[in-house]
Amino acid sequence: MNGVDGVKVAVLLFVAAILQVSIFTQVHVLGGVPDLLLVTLVAVSLLRGAIVGAVGGFFAGLLVDTATLGTLGLTSLVLTIAGYWIGRYGETTGRDRGHAPFTSVAVVTVLYSFGLLLVHFVLGERAPAGAIVRGLGPAILMNLIVTAPVYALARRLLRSRSRSDYATEVQLLG
Amino acid sequence: MVRRIVLAVLVVGALALLTISFRSPTSGALHDVQGYGATALRPFQVAAERVARPFRDVYGYFSGLASAKSENAKLRTELRDVRRTANANLAAAQRAGELEKLLRFEQGTSYPKDYRNVNTTVTSYPSGPFAQEVTIAAGSSSGIRVNTPIVTADGLVGHVTNVTPDTAQVMLLTDADSSVAARDVSHGVAGLIRHGQGSTLILDRVSKALQVKAGDIIVTQGTVDRRYPDLYPYGIPIGSVLSVGTSDIASYLTVQVTPFAQLDSLDAVAALISTKHR
Repeated sequence: MNGVDGVKVAVLLFVAAILQVSIFTQVHVLGGVPDLLLVTLVAVSLLRGAIVGAVGGFFAGLLVDTATLGTLGLTSLVLTIAGYWIGRYGETTGRDRGHAPFTSVAVVTVLYSFGLLLVHFVLGERAPAGAIVRGLGPAILMNLIVTAPVYALARRLLRSRSRSDYATEVQLLG
Repeated sequence: MVRRIVLAVLVVGALALLTISFRSPTSGALHDVQGYGATALRPFQVAAERVARPFRDVYGYFSGLASAKSENAKLRTELRDVRRTANANLAAAQRAGELEKLLRFEQGTSYPKDYRNVNTTVTSYPSGPFAQEVTIAAGSSSGIRVNTPIVTADGLVGHVTNVTPDTAQVMLLTDADSSVAARDVSHGVAGLIRHGQGSTLILDRVSKALQVKAGDIIVTQGTVDRRYPDLYPYGIPIGSVLSVGTSDIASYLTVQVTPFAQLDSLDAVAALISTKHR
């Protein structure tokens, strides 16, 4: 990834983070809230791999925690792992598959919700599992709706990768 | 290998931030840095909020049209009742003022006389069911401190839990940790306002022997004992009683309260800064 790509990723995630905390958290449809930042991170990670996904997740989380005056590092921790994991999927089996963004968003929405729940629980804060489970279906639906335009925009901004960015090593098991 | 090292460094960094921030959420060097960051992000958040406002207004306009006619009739009836009550209250307030003078009655800060408003906008909203908190675009440089009450023109919103020079975090009444000493002004019953189902509130700790009726107005209780000052002054409107229920096994009445402030769609709020030195 070159410097221009880095700036594009940073701007994309910055705008998504600001829109998420200022606007999208108020958009309640059928009990679900679309997570623009998570969907953008998934798109960036799929297109640019695990390292960009992890670093992007870390700084996007930091932005959210700073803007909301929340506990610093909390969102970063979960988004870093989410970005890395989706990045690895994009580098390996998810490569060039049309359903990859939608599958990734659906799975990551579930894992991200439970990841946040777990961190809050470990910190001894309120961890309403029932509310999370009830809101999960609508949240997945809302995230899937915004996936297509967000992924299209991210792909337009971050043109196709060079061959060297893909994984060059495969670990054989057994 | 590089990927794993990067991931490990970031995870350790996030855990370090989490540990420091969790141990000292409202003070310390990291909190100051967070404050500078929040100040830098504030213009972007305000700009995003302003861009979204026309769309929100249009949505609000059309959703309001659906219930406008029935609401108009209800409000006319309410206005008639309120006018009648206001006239009675005016006479009672004059009489109370004279009696207070005669008794040389001494009291703490009273709302809204001893407070000035710092009007500001909401820049971020609750992001999930974990905490019901919003961020506002005013902070300690405007006189806001931790525990400063936050209101709208309709009623109480909550209080400040974290403050930086230009932003502040506000815990809403619907947060699980929020608890406000409150009073039913119609029947003189005191209780605690806590979060209820959805966007409603509960007036808790009301004995079954006491009387509360649907439609009663709930306001903040204020300081009862000087040794234990309350965060809120007496008389900030909180909401009206929606329903009153009880069961044989419950110790207290189940009083459901509808908040006056639209806590799920806050736009502009005011911080109440005391002008009276204690």
